[in-house]
Amino acid sequence: MIPAWHYDGQTATRYEVYVVAQDDGLRLDLGEGRSDVAPWGDLFWIDKRDGASVFGRKGADGWRVGIPLPMTDLLVRRLPPQSRYGGLVDKFGIWPAVAGFTALSAAVVLVLWKAPDVVAPLVPMSWEQKMGDAMVGDLGGRICDGAEGQKALDALVRRIDPDAANLRVRIVNVDMVNAAALPGGQILIFRGLLQEAKNPDELAGVLGHEIGHVRNRDVMQALLRQMGLSLLLGGVGGDVGGALNSAISASYSRAAESRADDYAINLMRTANVSPLPTAGFFDRLAADERKLGKGAVAMSYMSSHPLSDERRKVFLASARKGAAYAPAVTPQQWRAIVDACANDPDVKEGDLF
Amino acid sequence: MGVGNQDQTAFEFRGDWKEFFPIAASNLLLTLVTLGIYRFWATTRERRYFWSQTRFIDDTLEWTGTGKELFLGFLMAIVALILPVIGLQFLIQALILQGQTALAGALGLGFYVVLLFLAGFATFRALRYRLSRTHWHGIRGGSEDPGFRYGLSYIWKTLVGGLALGLLIPWSMTSLWADRWNQMSFGPHRFESAPEWGGLMKRFLLLYLVPVAAVILGVVAAVSSGGDPGGLGAMVGLLVLAFYVVLPLLALGYYAAFFREVVDTLSLTTINFQFTARTKEWFLLFLGNAGLFILALIAALIPISALGLFSGFTDLQPGQDPFAQNPGLIAGMVLALIIPMSLVGPFIRYRNWRFFIRNLEATGVIDLDLLTQSQTKVGSHGEGLFDALDMGAM
Ligand SMILES: [Zn+2]
Repeated sequence: MIPAWHYDGQTATRYEVYVVAQDDGLRLDLGEGRSDVAPWGDLFWIDKRDGASVFGRKGADGWRVGIPLPMTDLLVRRLPPQSRYGGLVDKFGIWPAVAGFTALSAAVVLVLWKAPDVVAPLVPMSWEQKMGDAMVGDLGGRICDGAEGQKALDALVRRIDPDAANLRVRIVNVDMVNAAALPGGQILIFRGLLQEAKNPDELAGVLGHEIGHVRNRDVMQALLRQMGLSLLLGGVGGDVGGALNSAISASYSRAAESRADDYAINLMRTANVSPLPTAGFFDRLAADERKLGKGAVAMSYMSSHPLSDERRKVFLASARKGAAYAPAVTPQQWRAIVDACANDPDVKEGDLF
Repeated sequence: MGVGNQDQTAFEFRGDWKEFFPIAASNLLLTLVTLGIYRFWATTRERRYFWSQTRFIDDTLEWTGTGKELFLGFLMAIVALILPVIGLQFLIQALILQGQTALAGALGLGFYVVLLFLAGFATFRALRYRLSRTHWHGIRGGSEDPGFRYGLSYIWKTLVGGLALGLLIPWSMTSLWADRWNQMSFGPHRFESAPEWGGLMKRFLLLYLVPVAAVILGVVAAVSSGGDPGGLGAMVGLLVLAFYVVLPLLALGYYAAFFREVVDTLSLTTINFQFTARTKEWFLLFLGNAGLFILALIAALIPISALGLFSGFTDLQPGQDPFAQNPGLIAGMVLALIIPMSLVGPFIRYRNWRFFIRNLEATGVIDLDLLTQSQTKVGSHGEGLFDALDMGAM
């Protein structure tokens, strides 16, 4: 007979009772000969309060019994143990649980990091195209789609990549030295890049590189990876502007970059376009960056495509001695491309974001 | 049983931050290693502690919510609400990018109304959830109302409050408080709330007029000085003072009066509640919370600068990505920042709860035999929607 207190969950009245450990459960002597037996399996630990352990009873809302501490060995053995962190952690102990969770989390991060490599090639191209259309649209009228410029650009694309039917290369009226591959075979060339480039061969190299990203499904990979990452961070963002923004400034892995370079070099070799101007173009951009500082080139080609010396050398080395290279497009076509935005009367101007 | 007399206050918080620290620290550790999933169980442990350290008359409160139900609520909120909302947002932005501004505008307006509804609905459900998980003497609270009507009145009252140049905000705030609490109950008894908004208008108008007065005074100062630098400086100083010092203080003063009014007019059958905190106490609360935040920032910066973790970023080459070059460094910096900064949250919640309980009073008489168990339904999920919309307590 151990004195205890009790709420029956029916009214707020507090009862002074005696508890007795029986085989079939905890008996509460309520006085005047009345008693109540709570089966052991139905009792659960709640907390310690004013020197007593408090237990509840499954299926009886508000039913409580508070047994003063220390409890007898018999009661300690029969009553449920104290819970601290929650079911799973209490079961294994905190340190084994921490170790287990850490391993599990590392595995999840690894899977989310690696899965895009496997999943990206499996995403149907038609889905990717729809995503690209939703993301890009007509960029609020900022596409320089005057007939002459677009026609000349298409000619350049076909020249270096005869298999260009599923590509959509367009010029954007934004003063930013950059080019970006987006989902669905969309490639955007920003006006600033055209002003920086001295001849069509330079543009051909940059374009070939972006086509490489498209063909290698790098864009989808980056997109999936970013989605996985934001899933992890709990910020499920539905921000198209943000998605477009990060797709443009996405930097791919070193391996993906050099695969895209190889792809570009291959295209140019087949098309008989010289890779040397591209190497020169990289050289000039790198010099600009040294002069202006890193802050000035955010959101630009240099920030999304780190211009290492190796990259330049790869292009240099791919040039064949004595080869009779032909220009990527005619001077007239090149003028049409460079002036595409100036010659498009209804294009809107301005920053993207 | 009599409640609240000169000798003893009805509510008392007897927590100890040294006791709370192990809870906050182990919560942080488990939350980090589970990539954040443990946070629902962490919230539950935190509340169990706060509630169990809160005495009302002769016994403590008890929090009976679980981490699992909060987690389920979160999943439900994601599926049923967050995903459609994100989809809609995506659609609107895509329409804007494609130049369909009129359609996007119409959708955007609808989106705003839906968000208002959800905010109201979530506030209501969170209060209902908290009451249904609060036990005292084995008895709990709750509500029979699912909260849809409250969501609707939240839309129109918020809009009306804002439409009249914001002048009716005290009305909408008090009226919504009453709408909420009049649907809540504890045991068999309904809460009764009848706040008046007229008395709040003086402080609200003061708050309302300061920006106007500051701009007028600033312009007068600038004009009368004939545009000399001293006069312009005075104008800028006046504006900064008005917007960053006077305005927040007046807002706090208004909120203190609002909170006193709504709690003082709240009753549960024969018990009346009171709230004693005046503007000064609220100010000290916020000052202390800000102090905690600064303390954590200092605690984060000391190891970072001591280890020279910044040095990895000083001699960057053009084109180098600092994050790719120094993964270990980044991890170190993030941890040094995350640990103290994430301990601020629990302690701010600890201080807020202590402040709330210390200033809460109740007077009257309770008949324990008549305080029978609540017959309201207990939902199987927690504040998912509320968490998802990221709204505060009370
Ligand atoms: Zn690239």
